[in-house]
Amino acid sequence: MAISAATKAATDALAVNRAPVSVGAQEVHRWLQSFTWDFDKNRTKYSTKYHMANDTKEQFKLIAKEYARMESVKDERQFGSLQDVLTRVDAANRVHPKWNESMKVISNFLEVGEYNAIAATGMLWDSATAPEQKNGYLGQVLDEIRHTNQCGYINYYFAKQGQDAAGHNDARRTRAIGPLWKGMKRVFSDGFISGDAVECSINLQLVGEACFTNPLIVAVTEWASANGDEMTPTVFLSIETDELRHMANGYQTVVSIANDEAASKYLNTDLNNAFWTQQKYFTPVLGMMFEYGSHFKVEPWVKTWNRWVYEDWGGIWIGRLGKYGVESPASLRDAKKDAYWAHHDLFLIAYALWPTGFFRLTLPTAEEAEWYEANYPGWYDMYGKVYEEWRARGCEDPNSGFLPLQWFIENNHPIYIDRVSQVPFCPSYSKGASTLRVLEFNGKKHSFSDQWGERMWLSEPERYECQNIFEQYEGRELSEVIAEGHGVRSDGKTLIAQPHTSKDGKLWTLDDIKKIGCVFADPLKSL
Amino acid sequence: MSTSSNAYNAGIMQKTGKAFADEYFAEKNQVVHESDTLVLVLKKSDELNTVVEEILLGSHKDQNPTLVVEDRAGFWWLKANGKIEIDCREVSELLGKSYSVYDLLVDVSSTIGRAYTLDETFTITSELMGLDVKLQDVARA
Repeated sequence: MAISAATKAATDALAVNRAPVSVGAQEVHRWLQSFTWDFDKNRTKYSTKYHMANDTKEQFKLIAKEYARMESVKDERQFGSLQDVLTRVDAANRVHPKWNESMKVISNFLEVGEYNAIAATGMLWDSATAPEQKNGYLGQVLDEIRHTNQCGYINYYFAKQGQDAAGHNDARRTRAIGPLWKGMKRVFSDGFISGDAVECSINLQLVGEACFTNPLIVAVTEWASANGDEMTPTVFLSIETDELRHMANGYQTVVSIANDEAASKYLNTDLNNAFWTQQKYFTPVLGMMFEYGSHFKVEPWVKTWNRWVYEDWGGIWIGRLGKYGVESPASLRDAKKDAYWAHHDLFLIAYALWPTGFFRLTLPTAEEAEWYEANYPGWYDMYGKVYEEWRARGCEDPNSGFLPLQWFIENNHPIYIDRVSQVPFCPSYSKGASTLRVLEFNGKKHSFSDQWGERMWLSEPERYECQNIFEQYEGRELSEVIAEGHGVRSDGKTLIAQPHTSKDGKLWTLDDIKKIGCVFADPLKSL
Repeated sequence: MSTSSNAYNAGIMQKTGKAFADEYFAEKNQVVHESDTLVLVLKKSDELNTVVEEILLGSHKDQNPTLVVEDRAGFWWLKANGKIEIDCREVSELLGKSYSVYDLLVDVSSTIGRAYTLDETFTITSELMGLDVKLQDVARA
C-alpha cells in the first residue's frame, strides 16, 4: 500500500508540475524544487536554537547531472596536470625545501578539516527545512569528500615524487605528541560538528570558508608559486572552485534565520565566538607557515590578513549585513593584534618544541631577519636576537646538546596551552594578544590566553576537557615520548622533525634527544 | 601598477613598516567598515583567460569602470564595485564551443560577495540576495 500511496503522490505532483519540455539544467532544477517536499515539519537529530526558514534559495541551482559533469572536468584537469606535465618536469623536486615542509602541515591539516566538513554539512542537511537549502548542503557533502581525497593526494604526490617524504606520507601518526594537532582539531573538527547546528554553520561556512579559505586555499597558491611549487595551485585552486558554493550556503544559512527572533538575541555572540575560534588558530599558524616556511616572501602575512580577512570578509560579508543587526566582531581588536604578532610568537615556541613535530623547521637567515624587521618594526629585539643566540649555541647540530626549549626554562618563560583553542603560548614572552588567566574547575587548573576563549569555557567547561601534551606526558622523558608517538623515520631512530632543512646538516636521532634529558612538566602545577 | 582604490595593493597596503602599523592599529580600523565592493578569483585556464582578456577587459570593459583585474600567479584576482556579470552564451560564441554556466563554474575559485547563476549568466554582486533582493528562478519555457 505504501507503494501505491507514493505512486499516487508522484502522479499528483506531476499533474501539477509538468516535466520540462527542454533539458536545460536550470529548468530541471526549478522543476525539481517545485515538488515542495514537506520538510517544514522536519524532525532532526541536530537541533538549533534558531528557526531556519522554509523558503531559502540555493544560489547556484545545482542538479546532480551538471554537478557530476562539472566536478569530473575539474578532476580531469587537476589529475591530468599532476600526472602529465608536472611529473614530466620533475616539479616536486623544484620546490624550495622550506616550502616542502610547509605543505606537510597545510595539506595534512586541511584534509582533517575537509573530512569533518563532510559530517558538518550532512548535519546541516538534516537540520534545514528548505528543499533548495538542503540541495546546496548536499552538494557540499559531496564536495568535502572530493576535497579530502585531494588533500590526501597532494601529500601522496609530494611523498612519491618529491623530497623528504617523511611527514608527507603519514603525518597523522604523530597526532598525540604534536602541539599543533589539538588546536587544529578544535577549529577543523569540534568547531564544525559539535553543538548547535547553525552555530556550526557559522564556524564552518560563514567564517571558516567565507573568510579563512581565502588565505588558506587561495593566497597560499601565490606563496607556493613563488617557492617553486606548482602542484599546490593546481589542486588548491580546484578545491576553492567548490568553496564559493559553500560560502553561499553559509550566507543562505544566515538568510534563513535573519527574520527569526533568536537571531537578534544570539547571532552576534555566535559570530564573535566563531570568528575568535577560527582566527585564534588560523591566524598564527598560517602566518607562520607562509613567512617562516618559505624562502621567497610574497608580502607580510599581516597584509594578506588585512586584505582577505579584515577589508574583504569584514567589509563585504559582515559589514554589508550591518543593517540586519550583524555587528563587527567584538574580538576584532585582539584578532588584529594577533595577525601582526602571533605568528612570530608561535614560531618561537614551535621551533623550541621542534622534536614533537612532523616537519622540518628553519631559523630565519640574516636576509630574512632584515625583511622581518622592515615589515614588523621591533621584530629583531623580541625574536631576532633570540634566534641568533640559539644558532650560536648550535641548535641545529645534534652534537650541541642544546634544544631551544632549554632557553625558555633557563629564562623562566613557561609555555602554557590555552584550554579552549589548545594553542601554546608564552605569556611572559609574547607580543600577540595573549595574557595568562588560570581558573580551577573540578579540582583541575585550566590556563587561558584570552578573554574570548575564557568566556566560551565559562559557559560550557565540560566541552573543553582535552588534555594537553604537558598534562599527558608529565614526568616523561622526551625521546621516550617521541618514540611512543611514532615521531621517527623508517629507520626507527631518526626524528621526522628536524631543526633545519640543510642537505649537509646532520639529522637528529632519539639518542641525541635522550642525552639532553628533557622531561615534560606541567606549568600549571607550579602555580 | 593600478592606482585604483580596488587594486590588490591599494590604500594601506602600499604602506610599509611603521606607517603601515600606525594605520593598521588606528582606532578607526578596529571595527569592520561596510563595503559595496566584491572580489572574484578565477583559476587560470584556457577558457577563463579568454573571459578575462576578451570580455571583462575587452568588449565589456566600459560596463564597470571600477573593475580591477590582477595576475596573481595561478589565478586572476578581480575587484569591483556593484556587480560583475558573465553571460556564458557570449563566451560560448567566442570559444566556438558549447560552454554553459556550469562549465564556467569549473574555474571560478572564490567569491566575496553574493554570487549566483540564472539561466546562462553568472553574477556576483554587492547586493544582499535573498534579503534585499529576491533570488529568481529561471523563467518557465
